[in-house]
Amino acid sequence: MTATAAAGAPSGRRLVLMNERTAYWLMVAPAALLMAAFYFYPLAEVLWISVTEPKPGLDNYAQLFTSASIRRTIVTTLRICVLTTAITILLGYVVAYVLVHASPRAQRWLFLGVLVPLWISVLVRAFAWVTLLAREGLINTTLRDAGLIEQPLALIWNEFGIVIGMVHYMIPYAVLPLYANMRDIDPRTVSAARGLGGSRFYSFRRVFLPQSLPGIIGATVLVFIFSLGFFVTPAILGGGKTLMIAEYISLQILDLLRWGLGTMLASTMVLFIFVLLAALARVVDLKRLFGAG
Amino acid sequence: MREEQTFAQDCAEILRDELVAGRIDRRTFIKGLTALGLAPALLGGAGALSRAAMAQGAKPKEIVVANFGGDAVPAFTDAFAKPFEAKEAVKMVIDGSGPSTGKIKAMVDAKKVIWDVIDSGTGQAAQLGEAGYLEPIDYSIVDKTKLDPEFAYKWGVINYYFSTVLAWDSTKVQGTPTWADFFDTKKIPGKRMFRRTGLAMLEPALMADGVPADKLYPIDQKRAMAKIASIKADSLYWNSGAESQQLMRTGECVMGILWHTRANILERDSGGRIKWTFAGGILQPGIWVVPKNPPAGSAWAHKAINAMQDPAGQVLLLERMGNGPANPAAAALVKPEFARVNPSSPENMKQQVKFGGEWWMANQEQLTQAFLDMISS
Repeated sequence: MTATAAAGAPSGRRLVLMNERTAYWLMVAPAALLMAAFYFYPLAEVLWISVTEPKPGLDNYAQLFTSASIRRTIVTTLRICVLTTAITILLGYVVAYVLVHASPRAQRWLFLGVLVPLWISVLVRAFAWVTLLAREGLINTTLRDAGLIEQPLALIWNEFGIVIGMVHYMIPYAVLPLYANMRDIDPRTVSAARGLGGSRFYSFRRVFLPQSLPGIIGATVLVFIFSLGFFVTPAILGGGKTLMIAEYISLQILDLLRWGLGTMLASTMVLFIFVLLAALARVVDLKRLFGAG
Repeated sequence: MREEQTFAQDCAEILRDELVAGRIDRRTFIKGLTALGLAPALLGGAGALSRAAMAQGAKPKEIVVANFGGDAVPAFTDAFAKPFEAKEAVKMVIDGSGPSTGKIKAMVDAKKVIWDVIDSGTGQAAQLGEAGYLEPIDYSIVDKTKLDPEFAYKWGVINYYFSTVLAWDSTKVQGTPTWADFFDTKKIPGKRMFRRTGLAMLEPALMADGVPADKLYPIDQKRAMAKIASIKADSLYWNSGAESQQLMRTGECVMGILWHTRANILERDSGGRIKWTFAGGILQPGIWVVPKNPPAGSAWAHKAINAMQDPAGQVLLLERMGNGPANPAAAALVKPEFARVNPSSPENMKQQVKFGGEWWMANQEQLTQAFLDMISS
């Protein structure tokens, strides 16, 4: 039906169609060209270096499996990121839940609390944590003066300190998608469950939680991906003893001149993130998750 | 921000802090220089000179010296650029954008070199030189008699001295500790501090382990690393000079290995609570390197290096940044109040161990990775 209509249409109509399509492409072209020149080309270059330096082949990629140093860095990174993500989602869920159920007035204040940290530099926040967690920091001195501890607690210069700093940074990134999801949950479904005799917790667990699952999955992937690239926070709060993948890459590129190895790790990370996103796309609508549509 | 900080990079930062704190008066220096009649020389038509003409020794438009920015730019300008311009009538520009190893490689690879002389270090010089990114130092132009020939390498030459020293918190450590005390956490409990790249950290470990100071090189890497690993639970590692200062000042560490410039500031700012010594310190050279095909031509880059070996400028750099003059003739010009903190004064030199550049040039690259692997495992 459409085929015959198209075939039977006068040539002038087809020209208009062509023009529309051309116009569409012309409008997209600047952005596409910009992306191609400044994003995809350098990315391709990175990929290229990873298979050509120091000599052509997949030797750099083989190191993923043979180098103990790389394996340890990856394991450390994954461990910290998984822990950070789990804690962030848990705390973020509570905040988002409260946000959704708060009065509009309270909501405004709560949002301010969530968003203000986003505007403060990651460096400033890391140093703020140093002031709080250090040996002679606020927490340790308070506890000591209160007579609760004799020796300062090791709150910093270890993975514990790193996770605190990272969770603090990531919470808004968990709260926002979770909130967007929870806002769409019809509160009447929970009321209905309560009306049918479900306890508060039972109604939450069987009615609210399943409906918020897409939000949880989305926030989890988002937070996890962001955590992978952490650089400043681990370097400052880790006391120099924790080496995560982002810093490992920068070390190879800037100091050790092993560009093949550095770009290999960068490419692997990009690939890993794409795979994660592809898996995510099967579960939730990505466009919705990241704010479009 | 987390690329491993070099000594030169740290000097810039110190100066910035000093200026903010109002301890440095720029005007004094400018006044002094004006009194000497050092006005920037102007050159007409220099832009028309081709590279080929420069190669034959014709004057280039300018010489660009790269360092790590901040107030090391005005300090280098006063100590090196102004006297050079006055003498050679060629403009010298100090570019403080930070010449990391990766940047120099990228620049030479792209054939867009914008620096003529670069403030670098021993390991970086060897690494870049062996990979073909540097011009070998031309000792027919750079006068070896104005410096310690031990630090006149193929791919780089000394520009100033700095020292890696032992500092301690005098409220927790009695007397002057030794390297052996540094590694003895039973005798003196508390955290110790090392530089994270491992550069010049193996020597203290070996001395603590009983190796005589004159038998450190070639370094027994395994032994040194094992010694450091033995106190890993009690140690922290700094990337930047500011970090080393902070870890000592806040009482996080009772003893630390850090640069003498930072140690000196710590002693002053803590009102003497933090003390430090040149004894057993590692006397290291800062290094000038010339990238492959510098824009002003190799000959002029080397001419600039030679001019910067002039003692007056080096003494000025000591007063401004604490860097020890590389030219032995400078010692006589150093004012008494700066002699104590000058790593290259004859008295202080005797107490320190001379850095084994040859060993580090051959090993720094693998050591950096091995050291990081050791502390992060």
